[in-house]
Amino acid sequence: MPTVIQENPVEVVCLGVGFMSGVVATELALAGHSVVGITKGPYWDYVNDYSTTKYDEWGVGLGRKYDSPLPLQSTTIRNDSSQFALPVRRYTMPIQYHALGHGVGGAAQHYGGGMGRYGPWAYEMAKRTSSAYGSGFLASINPQDDTHDWPLTYAEYEPYYVEWEKAHGICGNYNGSPTNSQTDINYPWMSQNYPLPPHPMTPLAQLFQSTVQGMTAPNGQKYNPFPTVSALSSQPYTNQYGVAVNPCVYDGYCGGLCDYACETGAKANAAYRTIPAAIKSGHFTLVTNAYIYRLELSPSGNQVIAAHYYDAQGNDHRQPGTVFFNGMWGYNMIRLMLLSGLGTPYVYNSGTQSGTGTVGRGLTNGYTPIRGTNVSGTVNIGGNSYPAGNGSGGGVSVFDLMDDNFDHSSISPPFIGGGLFGAGGYLGGGPSNITFAGGVSAPNTANPNGAMGSSFKATQQNKYLQTKQVVSATPFAPDLPTLMNYIDLDPHYTDAYGDPVSRLTYDWTPNTYNGATYLVNQIKAILTQMGATSVTVGGAVAPYSYHNDWWGHHLRGGLRIGTDTNAGTATAWAALSGYNQLYYNSNTSGFNYFAAGEITNTTGNNATAGTHAAGPQSYRAAEGIKKYLANVAMNVNYLAS
Amino acid sequence: MPVLVVPDKAKPLNIPIFQSRIPKPEELVVLDKPLLEATIEVGNLLKDCKAKWALAGDIGEILNGVNVQPDHITILTNVVGCEEISTKLKGFQVEASKLVETQIKRNAEIEPKPLPIMIKSYTSRFDLNGQRLNVHGDLRIKVGDWDWGDPLDYEPEYVYVVGVKVPVVPLELKTRLYRGLGWYDRVSKIHAAMARRHHKIV
Repeated sequence: MPTVIQENPVEVVCLGVGFMSGVVATELALAGHSVVGITKGPYWDYVNDYSTTKYDEWGVGLGRKYDSPLPLQSTTIRNDSSQFALPVRRYTMPIQYHALGHGVGGAAQHYGGGMGRYGPWAYEMAKRTSSAYGSGFLASINPQDDTHDWPLTYAEYEPYYVEWEKAHGICGNYNGSPTNSQTDINYPWMSQNYPLPPHPMTPLAQLFQSTVQGMTAPNGQKYNPFPTVSALSSQPYTNQYGVAVNPCVYDGYCGGLCDYACETGAKANAAYRTIPAAIKSGHFTLVTNAYIYRLELSPSGNQVIAAHYYDAQGNDHRQPGTVFFNGMWGYNMIRLMLLSGLGTPYVYNSGTQSGTGTVGRGLTNGYTPIRGTNVSGTVNIGGNSYPAGNGSGGGVSVFDLMDDNFDHSSISPPFIGGGLFGAGGYLGGGPSNITFAGGVSAPNTANPNGAMGSSFKATQQNKYLQTKQVVSATPFAPDLPTLMNYIDLDPHYTDAYGDPVSRLTYDWTPNTYNGATYLVNQIKAILTQMGATSVTVGGAVAPYSYHNDWWGHHLRGGLRIGTDTNAGTATAWAALSGYNQLYYNSNTSGFNYFAAGEITNTTGNNATAGTHAAGPQSYRAAEGIKKYLANVAMNVNYLAS
Repeated sequence: MPVLVVPDKAKPLNIPIFQSRIPKPEELVVLDKPLLEATIEVGNLLKDCKAKWALAGDIGEILNGVNVQPDHITILTNVVGCEEISTKLKGFQVEASKLVETQIKRNAEIEPKPLPIMIKSYTSRFDLNGQRLNVHGDLRIKVGDWDWGDPLDYEPEYVYVVGVKVPVVPLELKTRLYRGLGWYDRVSKIHAAMARRHHKIV
């Protein structure tokens, strides 16, 4: 019988210490509340842990040495409910690219830092689509449609966006304004500018900007290019918590394939933006290398009263608390709730094509299909255009092909939404050029001699002293929630402690591919106008002709917020319905909301805009927790509205 | 009601564990909120200031990542700047600009015997919601019985404080100054910050 170590009760227990818990822990600790943050990985000191270890393409890119260890916990995956799900046993590219974070800061320790707010349309996707294209439109384009709107509008989330951007030092211009003028806003989304200016534009970005400014977008207006929004500090910065932040040094080992951690702390994450202020407050205790395995419920079953975790030595701990905030990675957040009997598990019935329950429902993907309709061309910049630097800055983007910013009514095949389109990012590309794209490879059908030896060397000259750049896009429209895609507990595979792992049932939805068919031709026109040569559109990929092969960090959904309690699980305060002292949020990729991928990319930059959209919810949850704690003794539900 | 099921399988795992050292509060570079808010206010009020000015002293260093804990705000400017700043911050002024000569608390540590350090500047003082602000115009330094130095001059660098762009005295100048005074503990603090920033060795 193991001895359980009883920890002292605190007011707030944060489960996982990534982006979202960082906000909640800091807001509550600075308000004087006692807070504990528990995370299964270490605290990463960016100087001592990264400076000498990150320049390791194999260990970082394929060994995933900064990622969550799969022997401890993995997940199983399948494309539909009739298949036997198999576990992710190793990190490989592109299939089974799991890449979950580990430790304080989570996956944001090694992401590309692509950011950008969601616009008003994304929050009311169902309502606005119905209004514009008819009440049955969504159901007609999305089999077993399960799309629902957010509980609040964009305008209601906007103040929280501002706080999130200040905390993390987001770089950019007023949306849609090439001149950074507050009065020159094409899409009036922002009440305040980003706290930091954008990164310097690359030559390709400048060409893209000047080109699209002279072109007409599908809405009949001129395109409105703006610097791509980034969470990599462009300047020395101090946030609203007083935390000093170093700027980016453009070392090139940054985004790549979401591999590289930052040795100067310029890459925004909780460890270097929020948690320092929480620690400094004296009200916060950080517990690292601790694996949470259960939430303990009160006898009545409607309150969480403690979190149970193992430390690195295998000791069993019990951490009581008044309020719990679940800021774990998406799969783990859902899994912990299912293991603990919290909420109603989602159960899908393929025979009746219906589902019941909410926990695990609405899994979507926010990343481009590996195989999709695509377009590419080669742009000759004329001088050295080597784009190594950081993961998300330096580019230029347009909103004009996104959301409902153009009329979809006569487009065939039909779809809704669109994509953020941009070009010219830095890529952080050197190491990925070597190890992945265009790097060493064995002989294959496409390249019978392989890319080794002299043929490999011949490709490197233009990679490091580039005058020509390949610009390509695999655009996609939002992946819409359906009843078929969900997360549950796997009946066969377990973690290192014998508990079931999460099982993902997911495949791309038609809207994803149908949007690509339209968008790719808009992008083709831009590339042609840019003077690109050999502009080629890849063959149209029909829905369900390829299956999802991307199981990584851009999957979203599964614990949705919303006003419809039959479909979503949380209130507008991000508290679990029926459990007013359990709040939750995602630590990356906006796991618990509806709006799906609005991101496409032309340069390989990963766009983590889902995180940006999830951020405001963490402030919303922090506000809700403060309200709850202020009134808990009175036993009044102040969060009902 | 779901029953808590404890796996009862607690055991040390045979997987690599990254050793984790959580920083102590004193190791973290965090500016106190009252000074932070006062700094933002100063930055906003002086954003159109035509004279050369910059945040100096500890406040200028912590905004550049140096682990110091300021207790007030210092601005370094020239005589013209002193007047212009006095005008822009008139509502907060508690002491008008005048030439002040004073000995600072710490001595120079460059000879076996500590040498007193005198500073002379056009000084004005302000109070921003309880936070002290000292403005020094044409500040000169004198060590022991040496001659007065020239007024300190610099090209400001810029940092961002919650979206407000403010000038700061370059750490390079501070390093030279500290070396000259023998304050190597302060040089070390700046070096530590630069090592963490990585791209600009002073």
